[in-house]
This record gives sequence, C-alpha cells and structure tokens, in this order.
Amino acid sequence: MSDRLLADWRQHALTLETEVNKVVVGQHNPVRLITIAIFARGHVLLEGDVGVGKTTLLRAFTRGIGGGYQRIEGTIDLMPNDLVYHTYLGEDGKPHVSAGPLLMSGENLSVFFFNEINRARPQVHSLLLRVMAERTLSAFNKEHTFPHMIVFADRNQVEKEETFEIPSAARDRFMMEIPIVVPNDDDIMSGLMFDTRFHNVDALIDTVKPDVLKFDELNAFSSVIQKSVEASKTLEKYALNLWKATRKPTDFGVKVTNVDMNRLVLAGASPRGMSMMLRAARVNAWLNERTAITPEDIHAVFHETVAHRLVFSPVYEMRRTEIAREMLSNIINAVAAP
Amino acid sequence: MNLLMNPWLFALILSLRVLNATALEYENLPDIKEGIVSINLQEPERTVGYTVGDVLTRHITLEIKKPYQLIEESLPIIGYERRYKGQLIGIDLSNIKHIKKEDGDAVMHDLTFSYQIFTNNVVVKNGALPAEYLRIINTKTKEIVRYRVPSFDFAISPLSIFGAVKIENNMSGYRGPLLLDNSNEKQHFKLLLGILAISLIGLLYMLGKHAWLPKMGGPFAKSYRQILKSANTPEGLQNAVSSMHASLNKTAGFSLFNGNLNQLFEKKPAFQQIESEIHQFFGLSRQVFFEPNAKHALGNAPLQWLAQFCRRCRDCERGLITDKQIANKA
Repeated sequence: MSDRLLADWRQHALTLETEVNKVVVGQHNPVRLITIAIFARGHVLLEGDVGVGKTTLLRAFTRGIGGGYQRIEGTIDLMPNDLVYHTYLGEDGKPHVSAGPLLMSGENLSVFFFNEINRARPQVHSLLLRVMAERTLSAFNKEHTFPHMIVFADRNQVEKEETFEIPSAARDRFMMEIPIVVPNDDDIMSGLMFDTRFHNVDALIDTVKPDVLKFDELNAFSSVIQKSVEASKTLEKYALNLWKATRKPTDFGVKVTNVDMNRLVLAGASPRGMSMMLRAARVNAWLNERTAITPEDIHAVFHETVAHRLVFSPVYEMRRTEIAREMLSNIINAVAAP
Repeated sequence: MNLLMNPWLFALILSLRVLNATALEYENLPDIKEGIVSINLQEPERTVGYTVGDVLTRHITLEIKKPYQLIEESLPIIGYERRYKGQLIGIDLSNIKHIKKEDGDAVMHDLTFSYQIFTNNVVVKNGALPAEYLRIINTKTKEIVRYRVPSFDFAISPLSIFGAVKIENNMSGYRGPLLLDNSNEKQHFKLLLGILAISLIGLLYMLGKHAWLPKMGGPFAKSYRQILKSANTPEGLQNAVSSMHASLNKTAGFSLFNGNLNQLFEKKPAFQQIESEIHQFFGLSRQVFFEPNAKHALGNAPLQWLAQFCRRCRDCERGLITDKQIANKA
C-alpha cells in the first residue's frame, strides 16, 4: 500500500514539475529543488536579480499545490502588524479592521511569499521567523495556525542600500536558499523576449493545471516519505563527515582560493540544518525512485541546504556566495563515501 | 802485457769466460726437487701469426719456498743471443721485469719476459721462446740447484706469401681451427633475444600483479591484489568495493561519484573507454553500501566482475588503453 502511495504521489510531483517547467522555462534545477522543499515541508529563500521569474515560479507552484497564496513586499517602513491586519475607514465612516496577508487565507494558507525580505526591519523578521518555526500566530485574542504554510522569501543580493541583512539565526530557519539566474541558453532567452505567452503572467499562470497536489495532505505524506526512505550506516558516516567538514574544513584539507581557511569559518552548519539536508535528500531519493539515500541525493541538495547556514568572518562576508560555493564543492570533493 | 793494457778487450774476454762457466754450471747442476717451486705461466694469446719484429711477452709467477732462494744473477740477460744446435734462433730477450714479494714461508717472483723476433722466412717456420734455467740456492745447506722454465712453441709467418696457398693442405697444429664467420647470425640472435625479452616484459606488465616495474605500483594494482585476496562474503565484497572507491578517488584526485565522472574523464581521458563499467561499479556500490534493495546487473559473482573491472582500470592507469583509441572510437 505504501509503495503504491509513494508511486502515485511521485507521479503527481513529476506532473507538477512538468506543469511548472512549461511556464517557467530554463529553471529545471530550481523547480526540482522547490518540489523537494514542498515535500520536505521546508521554507525556501530565493536569491536572484529583479525580473528573473521568482514570483511567476511561486505562483505556478501555488496553483499546482492548491490552497491560499499570499504575498507581501518588504519595505523599510513595514511593521509586523502589517502582516497580521490593516485598518481603514469604511464607507460608513467608522474604522474597520481586516485580516492581513498572513490571516487572510486562514488555515488554507499554503504559500506565503515575502518579496525582498532583507528590506524589512528586524521586528518583521522576528514575527515571520516565529510563524515559520511554529506555524502559529497570536492575534485578536486568538491562536491562528497555518499547518500547510510554506514561506518563500527572496532577497536581492546586489542592492544593499536600505536593507537589513538577515541574521544567521534567521537564515537557519529556511530549509534552502535557491539561486534563480537567467538561463544562458540563447533559444530560451530569445523565447522569453519574443514569445508573447510570457508577456501576460496571469494568463501564463492560468495554463498551469490547478490542484495537481492536495496541499492539505502534504504534511501527512511528507512523513510517509521520511519514514520510507532509509539511510545506511555508511551514508550516516558520510553525512557526519560532511557536517564536520563544514565546521572544520582544514581537517579535511579543504581550501578556497585566496582565503585563509583558519579564519574563514566562524560556525559551520547547524544540527537543524543537517537534519533539513537529510529531509531534502530523502525526498530527492524518493523522486528518483530510490528506497534509500545515496551520496548523490545529498549532493543534489547540499549547496542549497547548507551554504546559507555557514557563518564566515566579517572580512569574507562580502564574497559569501562565491566562497560558500567553492568551499562546499571542495568539501564534496574531499570527503569520500565510503 | 798488451792485453792487460787494453781494458775493453780484457773485460770482453772475462765476460765470455763467465758466460761459458755459467752454461757449464747449468748442465752440471741437479734439478730442484718437486714441490719447492710452483709456477704459473701466462703465455702469449695465440701461437700463430707472428712475423719479424713482433714482441711476445710471457708472464711467469714463481713461488719458491724457503729456505730456497732465487739467485737473481741467474735471470736471463737482455740482448743475449740464443742458439739451437749452434744456430742463432733469431729470438732475443728484449725486456725483463722482476718483482719480488715476501709471502710467509715463500717468496713470490713476478717475472715478465719480452722477446722480439729477428728472423724471417718465405714459408711458415717454427719458433720457440726458449726455456730458461734459473739457479736456486738452499740458504741453509748452500746447495745450488736449477729450475727450468719451459719453452713456448709458436709459428713465425713470412711477411709476404709467394704463389697460391691452399690452406687445407697446410693444417698446422699451430694455426688452430678455422672458424666460419657467424657474426651475422650472432647479431640476429641478439636481436631476437632482445625482442623476446621485451615481449616477456610486456606480457608480465600486462598480467603482473606486483609493483616492481614502472607504473605497476598504482592504486588499481594494489586494489587488484586486495580484491583477489578478498573472501567471497558480504564483508569481503564491502572491503573490495571500498578499495576500488579509494583507488578511483586517488586516481581522480577528488572523491568520485556517479555525478562527477566527467571531471575524471577530463583529467584522465583513458577512463572514458570504460565509462559504462564505471557506472555499473557505482550501481554495485549503491547496493553494497547504501541501498540493499537496489538491483545491479552483475550477476551472482560480483567479486569476480570487480576483479575484472579493476584490471580494466589498471590498464587505463598504465596507459594500455590509450586516449588515441578513444579518439578513433569517437
């Protein structure tokens, strides 16, 4: 029964990927990673330039998952209560209160997209992080729950003015940080410019088959995946070595160009981070019709689940993306399995 | 009175008397007993082919036991003309070297006699380095005895030959056997031996399991030995696969996985030839280490397949599967 269930859901997941890939072209890897995050029930931080299709990507997924989709723009004057409610004067001349984006969909909220999260103040971050961790919110003398919610946030790494860098504790709550880049295939780039179907995003999103997945069954099915996909002793040892290497790369002979490795890492991956990595790896194994995790499953999610958790010396923070990428690649090259 | 007035003439007469006396002494002296003198002769290399003017040298080592002692004045004199039956033999002593060494209860005499030929003939004629008589004295009894150094016979060739010579009719014992020229055959033989040796080394290189030839001590050669020693048990298989992983990682210079094989092929193109087998190996590794339920297509004897695969890798390592083959295949 469980095998049948796993196979059916896999088919649904692959269908969802196919649907999303139809409207967001040239982003197969991010699409696969978001699919993994959805089934691993982890929040995702998207990193990319303006206009590369982050919102379209999320809306396409939301349509495929079903449930409520809410979005808020991060600005310097955004306050925590703006996420919860807003007030206005009604036609009757009296003040009214209506639900903010977090409460608007109630328990059916499946995707909450926080655009340019690093433009919001730390107070907003703290509220969002609580909601991400506990999936609950106290407001209007009531405890609101969002059991099916996944948060997708994005940040623009290029513009730094009037931004608040997300602290490492906050970054750690996200399961993955996924880079979204412009595809470098000429045909795809040309299509994005000239194909008129990409010009009207609403119409484009409408072409995605709705409710491919049942958003309110994802939590239960996620548990089934985590229980079904096994990890051998050899893999446990391998993952442990990877973790150690993120903490003390010099012990594994890992080097990064023009970086003093003795000063680079202030903190490696956290226990929560490594457990999230293995959750994601299990989903990847399931998507590839495997019953146990292999090193390739870990590699498929290693950068995206670990890079944003590393804490570097301030002197190297400006080069974080490139250093983290090189360091993690070198860790994979240095740690053997078995 | 007149003779005494001429000192040169007097000296000549005196020396002739001494020589005559010496010759007479040799004839009258008894031979030395056996076992007192031992001799070692090093004669000229050949016994034929000498002509007028040639110098023949013989090395003589005499060991004379004490209390006998060589009377050094009895050594032959340079330039003294030898006669045989009253005729000059035409072979004169041209040089002599004498080195004397004390050796416990004996004395060693290293003697080198060089003789020069002063005779010629129109046909080949016999000659001999003459026997030399040495006087030896017993220092205790003052008895004087003689010791004969044997002669050495050889043939003296004419400087030029008149008329046709049929050599088969003149099979002189001095000439030695007539040899056929086999230098070409010798050269061919050496060449063939060389080819055989290279072929054997090549075969040994391809089939050898050891590490005493260049590139033989590579990681895969070591793994091959380990795989052959591995027991046909799950643990043995694990150790064998683990050893192969270690060898692949060492060869690649990084941890090799199914997903980064291209990096290996860029670095070591020879391994591209066995790409499908490498994928099969990772399939086996997956089953052994990570996913026991996974299936591989290597049958029931994965250890044998692994040994075969390891040999293929070793061939790549040794350059026996070349990049050129890959280029041709492409």
